[in-house]
Amino acid sequence: MLAVEGGTSPRELTVLLVEDEVLTRLMLADELRSQGLQVLEASNADEALTVLHSSLPVHLLFTDIRMPGEMDGVALAKFAHARFPRIKSIIGSSWQPESIGDFADAFLAKPYDLRELAEQVRRLLGESDDEQ
Amino acid sequence: MSSRSGQAAKAGETVLVVEDEVLLRLSIAAYLRDCGYSVIEAADADEAVLVLKQPDLDIDVLFTEIEKPGAMDGFGLAQWTRANRRGLDVILTGTAPRAVNAAANLCEDGPVPKPYEPQLVHDRIRRLLAARPPRRPAGRPKKP
Repeated sequence: MLAVEGGTSPRELTVLLVEDEVLTRLMLADELRSQGLQVLEASNADEALTVLHSSLPVHLLFTDIRMPGEMDGVALAKFAHARFPRIKSIIGSSWQPESIGDFADAFLAKPYDLRELAEQVRRLLGESDDEQ
Repeated sequence: MSSRSGQAAKAGETVLVVEDEVLLRLSIAAYLRDCGYSVIEAADADEAVLVLKQPDLDIDVLFTEIEKPGAMDGFGLAQWTRANRRGLDVILTGTAPRAVNAAANLCEDGPVPKPYEPQLVHDRIRRLLAARPPRRPAGRPKKP
């Protein structure tokens, strides 16, 4: 389980998953939960902002880029990076933006490879655990 | 597994939670997972219908808010479910008295008034599922 590997004591690591396609979100959430992670599901950026402003802990943001509404995944990741710099972030899309280095930690191409997702999450949450 | 309730969910029992208020949805979904249910979250009726149209996703109970934005409210979703996914139990929840009264016609045991205690939702699910004959050995497939 991810929650136990990186640290000296078990603790819950939480991923905020932002995806507007419900079946894709369900598939990703299932995979992340099977890795021992807590998953908070948001269907758009507005919901994600509500979660980020709540008292719920978030260690990693995984967001689709293209979503309906005023804010897309890039804007959401930039906001999270500026306001909550300790939160790691992965952005996903069928097309890769030119540069993500200033606002996201990783990019995942659609259609998602669940093994790659697990590896990226493990790597980033391992880093997050080391920093704390 | 949960120690919150007297009777835990059986393995594979799946609840589809439909709620547009994200923090409320996260809260009840987390509670029901802690009780042992597999939980699918939908933010609105469109998402719920898409989930319900997947024949390989076994769902035992639809728990849906009555008043929500979009073309279909909780009543419409309950009616759609009755017509298209027979054998699935429906629990409606809401605040407006008129809506709550009308909901009594669409779900077996009357609506759950908001704000609700999560334990009450779990108890209602247990009561509905206890009245059913066993129908399948396994839960929903892992991937849609």
